[in-house]
Amino acid sequence: MDYDVLVVGGGIAGMESALTLGDMGYSVLLAEKEPTIGGKMILLSKVFPTLDCASCIATPKMASTFHHPQVTCMTYTRVKNISKTARGTFQVALDRQATHVDLDKCTGCQKCELACTVAVPDQFNFDMVARRAAYIPFPQAVPKKAVIERHGTSPCSLACPAGVKAHGYVSLIRAGMFDEALELILEAVPFPGALGRICYAPCEGVCTRAELEGALPIRKLKRFAADHYYQKHPKPKHGPPKKKQIERVAVVGSGPAGLTAAYHLARRGYSVTVFEAAEKPGGMLRLVPTFRLPPEVLDRDIANVTALGVEIRTGERVEDPAALRLKGFKAIFVAAGLPKDRKPALEGTDLANVVGALGFLRQAGSRERPKLEGKTVAVVGGGRHGIALDCARTACRLGAKQVVLQFRRSREELCIFESAIDDAIEEGVTIQFHRAPARLVGLGDKRVRVESREMLAGKRDVSGRILPGSAGKAAEALDADLVVLAVDQGADLGQLKGELQTAGMKTLAVDPRTLETRVPGVFAGGDVVSGPSSLVEAIGTGTRAAACIDRFLRGTERTPVELPALPAVDPKSVLQRQARYSRLPPAERGKRPAEQRRADFQEVETGFDEAAARQSAARCLDCGGCCECHQCIAACPADAIDLGMRDREKMVEVGSVVVSTGFRLFDAGLKVLYGHGRFPNVIDAMQMDRLLSPTRPYNTVLRPSDGKMPDSIAYILCTGSRDCQVDNPLCSRVCCMYSVKQAQLLMGALPMADVSIYYIDIRAFGKGFEEFYEQAKAMSVRFVKGKVARVEEGEDGKLILHYEDIAGGGKLARAEHDLVVLSVGLLPNQEALGLFSGGVLKPDPHHYVHEVDEDHSPARTSIDGVYVAGASAAAMDIPDTILHSGAAAALSAAYVERLKR
Amino acid sequence: MSARRIGVYICYCGGNISDYVDCEKVRNAIAGEEGVVVAKTTMFACSDASQQEIIEDIQQQKLDGMVVASCSPTLHLFTFRGVANRAGLNPYLYVQVNLREQCSWAHTDVPAQATEKAVHLVRAGIAKARLTESLDKIRIDTVPRALVVGGGIAGLRAALALSDLGISVFVAEKSEKVGGWVAEMGRMYPHERRGSDLIAKLVEEIGARENIKVFTHAELTAKSGSVGDFSVQLSVADQTIPLNVGTIVVTTGFGSYEPAPGEFGYGTEGVLTLPEFKRLLDESKGPLVYRGKPVNSIVYVYCVGSRGSSKKEKPNTYCSRYCCNAAMHASSVAHDLSPSLHQFHLFRDIRTYGKYELLYEEARSKGAVFLKFDEQQPPEVEKVDGHFRVQLKDQLTFGDEIQIESDLVVLVTGMEARADKSLNDVLKLPLGLDNFFKEIHPKLRPVETVIDGVFIAGAAQAPRNSAESVASALAATAKSAALLKKGYVELEPLVAVVDTEACTWCSECVCTCPYAAIEKVTAGSKEVAQINSALCKGCGCCVPACPKGALGVKGYTDRQIRAMIDAMGASHE
Repeated sequence: MDYDVLVVGGGIAGMESALTLGDMGYSVLLAEKEPTIGGKMILLSKVFPTLDCASCIATPKMASTFHHPQVTCMTYTRVKNISKTARGTFQVALDRQATHVDLDKCTGCQKCELACTVAVPDQFNFDMVARRAAYIPFPQAVPKKAVIERHGTSPCSLACPAGVKAHGYVSLIRAGMFDEALELILEAVPFPGALGRICYAPCEGVCTRAELEGALPIRKLKRFAADHYYQKHPKPKHGPPKKKQIERVAVVGSGPAGLTAAYHLARRGYSVTVFEAAEKPGGMLRLVPTFRLPPEVLDRDIANVTALGVEIRTGERVEDPAALRLKGFKAIFVAAGLPKDRKPALEGTDLANVVGALGFLRQAGSRERPKLEGKTVAVVGGGRHGIALDCARTACRLGAKQVVLQFRRSREELCIFESAIDDAIEEGVTIQFHRAPARLVGLGDKRVRVESREMLAGKRDVSGRILPGSAGKAAEALDADLVVLAVDQGADLGQLKGELQTAGMKTLAVDPRTLETRVPGVFAGGDVVSGPSSLVEAIGTGTRAAACIDRFLRGTERTPVELPALPAVDPKSVLQRQARYSRLPPAERGKRPAEQRRADFQEVETGFDEAAARQSAARCLDCGGCCECHQCIAACPADAIDLGMRDREKMVEVGSVVVSTGFRLFDAGLKVLYGHGRFPNVIDAMQMDRLLSPTRPYNTVLRPSDGKMPDSIAYILCTGSRDCQVDNPLCSRVCCMYSVKQAQLLMGALPMADVSIYYIDIRAFGKGFEEFYEQAKAMSVRFVKGKVARVEEGEDGKLILHYEDIAGGGKLARAEHDLVVLSVGLLPNQEALGLFSGGVLKPDPHHYVHEVDEDHSPARTSIDGVYVAGASAAAMDIPDTILHSGAAAALSAAYVERLKR
Repeated sequence: MSARRIGVYICYCGGNISDYVDCEKVRNAIAGEEGVVVAKTTMFACSDASQQEIIEDIQQQKLDGMVVASCSPTLHLFTFRGVANRAGLNPYLYVQVNLREQCSWAHTDVPAQATEKAVHLVRAGIAKARLTESLDKIRIDTVPRALVVGGGIAGLRAALALSDLGISVFVAEKSEKVGGWVAEMGRMYPHERRGSDLIAKLVEEIGARENIKVFTHAELTAKSGSVGDFSVQLSVADQTIPLNVGTIVVTTGFGSYEPAPGEFGYGTEGVLTLPEFKRLLDESKGPLVYRGKPVNSIVYVYCVGSRGSSKKEKPNTYCSRYCCNAAMHASSVAHDLSPSLHQFHLFRDIRTYGKYELLYEEARSKGAVFLKFDEQQPPEVEKVDGHFRVQLKDQLTFGDEIQIESDLVVLVTGMEARADKSLNDVLKLPLGLDNFFKEIHPKLRPVETVIDGVFIAGAAQAPRNSAESVASALAATAKSAALLKKGYVELEPLVAVVDTEACTWCSECVCTCPYAAIEKVTAGSKEVAQINSALCKGCGCCVPACPKGALGVKGYTDRQIRAMIDAMGASHE
């Protein structure tokens, strides 16, 4: 047996049971699901009938529980399952949830809380104010240790193939921390400028806000961060890392994959040399037309790499990558890409004035741009990510009179950027969907006749992908001065000689787990391995390659180096979590007028200004809780933050179990006619208790709609209790008294205010309660016998109560108040019943834990050895809970004695 | 210069103090006091983080004195002594200054003066801290036996539970048999089990236990000793039996309210109290008959003797808690016996709290009619031609004058504390305003009393029903076992001491001691007073009585008090 007794739930019942058992000398494990013990009592203002401050009497209880030599407290721990053994003990599976903070190191200084950029509703203040995702629940928390709340990885961050913490930088931009936003991006990738412009943004595709008014412009926010930073820092702030490794690494190809690998290797301290066959580094990025990616942005991105000391040797074509090992490179990364145009099997492709897309774009980017004034240009195909569109739009800018793009499939298949199609059409490109050339015929005058056919729409296969359709009837021919074929790309296989020779293969083969080729020490990645892919995917491969190479060089095992991410958050749960949204329409995309665009090669899309960026970022729903912006890590003086921490399961054996999981509050919104959730000035009594508590959110009692002090406050008793309409026929026992208590406290907090309590019966039944009720009457709290039928909102946020005035002759009466407090009842916390496998812990007819022998042994349940303490068994007040917990402790102790005998 | 190294902590109490007292100003004012090496403010000194911080200070700064200026010592004296203890500092080197109850809360209208007063109070605390001495707790080995006084359901259940935990139990029952009120009961709410059956089962179980001894006709006549080691005397029939026990659990139950003659017709045939009516129900096998006459209608009058509505000189102001539920249950039982019965409930508030709401619902579903009267206009009961005529103004029909004819009137009477106070003389347990035994804290320590080792449970502490009494008895058992299972208890060393040089045994002090802790001993050639430190509570009553100034209390020495007064009065401006 690991512990004599397990106590489930660290509220007042659990603490009392644990302390009593501990005092008797039994070893106790107290498991609490929240980051602090104290339950609901610690959140109260004062308690009836003594008007003791709840903090003052609960805090010592919490501290003595936590420090009791016989009691072990595990907070942020869920009990997953309990089963009884043949010996009569209990096997308990605990889920020790990851706090992402090393509790031994954390000093409770709250620096992480101040640094955290994510605000979420504060459940400890019943959602009246916000707290951070990194938080300590309240000042008296025990243990006073921070927790970082993570529901999972935010969908946007998880979707990024390059591992950019999208949620993180969005959150930082929202907080106005623009430099930090970019530095967070630079943790993952060196190309924020390029990605901010031409990434296909898989993050936006999964953005939960898309379910509302539209996804966040995550890509453009990245562009904003990059533009802002690059303007401020024309040269990289960072230099080469201090830590150096002796090994040298060669990278073949300076495209996104190669440079990203070089970047991450250099950050790890390796000296890296990049070999680039072309005159300028950048690979395929260089071929992106400048109206989509200005060259100075690309150069600045690449400077992020070179600033680390990476040497890029342009104009150096590597004939045999494997042979670089002989030149002192301990590892080689081949990321040579797919630089060659591949022509389709089509008659006439060898004609003059029939060119490949890459060749065309290369020439268009060079000093000798093709002269197309007055010409007709036909662009055939789609190409990778709509490279055909780039060609067509470039042709327009080069003066072509007519540009026709023929694409054999549908619009949705042409380009992942839907907007680029519209941009092209605006700029004058004619796009012919479902049309493909049958052959190209030379017309003698160097012109080419494109003979085309209509293509039938293809069917979808089982995966939903559209298959190519078959050819239909002939279409009108087009006579063009230039035909650009944007069909396929291939590797420079001539480069891959020696040991890497791949007979008949279009791409290089690697071990998918390690990215290593069949030659030890030679790794490959990017398009040369995967075939045509996107920028962000290529960058992702580069990141992985760097990690693989690092492991190879450090001699550690070459197992996969996947980014350790938590599973994605379910968007449904995010939408449910937030009860209300303000409608925040997405910002306009922003682009220059088409006629202006056609005339130059300047950038089409415009960026955000600060205000637009922050406003757009503010629409984020913070799906994952923590956004992984890493500000807490930087702020923590104790180095206690560990976002890689994961939930751990722990098994323990105990002799007996005390269930003290407490109660749920009735959801006041279910009494629709009382307007909670509809009228801001209708709050529930727990919220009022928070407004009155020493750690109160506004430091006084204010009404929510306008922050004014209310002059007239009404209580509606029995909200959700003694009410068959909400399926709760029971009385909740505490509401009369807590309302009487709050009324007295309000008399002190707001001396000018009138307090009225609308009631059925005032149930002041416990020791000292009746006297407490009399005291409230003497303080001129108004008690109105009569059930409230409904609440309406009047002018100026006032509320109109319609009620039966029994003392006033039974009339239907109206009364006006500034603030209405719903005295909500207590409901069973049915989690208790699920603790035991097989439903062996029996509920009573009202779903509380059933006490099988209340007359002789209150607290005994349907399982011998399992006892229930406090409000898990029935609604009860604190004094009764204390007695009940004492009973549970006594019975549990007796059971343990029997086990030990 | 004082050689002491003192840490001083000024608590904001989350605004309770800092809203009125400028804590930073106080800190700055006392930071330079002689001996003060640490002076800090804190949001909640009692929070775990602050406690840890204090511990670190004590250890790193090698503090040998500690002052926390926060709330009343009744709240947190033990908290901070515990902090000192965990840090390796003798807990009695700690001094608590009460800035909340004695300063901020008392002077909410004059913050500047409150701040000034706080400075003086803290200075006094520091002055005391300079003169504190290390003290050790008084350790007493405990006897693994308990005495349960009162053999009702609470007492019997407590005895069994203590026995379960390996503690021997003596049960002292005053009457000729155990079982109390419950033994007399038939069907009881809420589980419809017979009270007599419940008791029979407990008695049977107790009979099988070797470590439980039950005395009937037994009264507790004397108690001496202290927690963990009491010597008590039982008077059993004509015998006196001495016992040695570690704890005492008092489960003496309640008395039923006896209405004044004429109170709602009480004294007239056909006007019954609730227990009398319950007996009638329990004895009935078929349709309800009272004194040979069939009963066709009953009027219940609620809150008789409770909530201040008594004709007696000193009415009970409290609510008796159990009676609404019990009356509802009785009404349903009566209906089951005589389904054609007409029943009228005249109430002020129906307090069928919690799950007992279902009893109310059941009574209503069985045709009971409910009428609400105002406490200022109670119903009037009159007997006319062998029937009762009850008149009231019914608030539920908006003040209609209603007249009800009935065969019986049931006065729903509450519980009262036991009238016999002889036990109080022996145990010296304090009573509340309601005459029930008074617990230390009604919220968090409901079974403990100011007499360590003496617990109260069941309806002796407050009105409650059978199941609730059992729960409370089990709670008292647990607290009792917590004392006895360890084998020893530790007592506060803050007790009176005698300067035997100065003492002349004039015996002036003896009568001042409420705990009988002073006795005469011979020291060398003379007679002097001696303090039984296990009994002494350190109340200090004896100290001023001594004409020779030979008495003092540890932890509150004259030197310390004088230093505090001097510090408080000193001007530092």
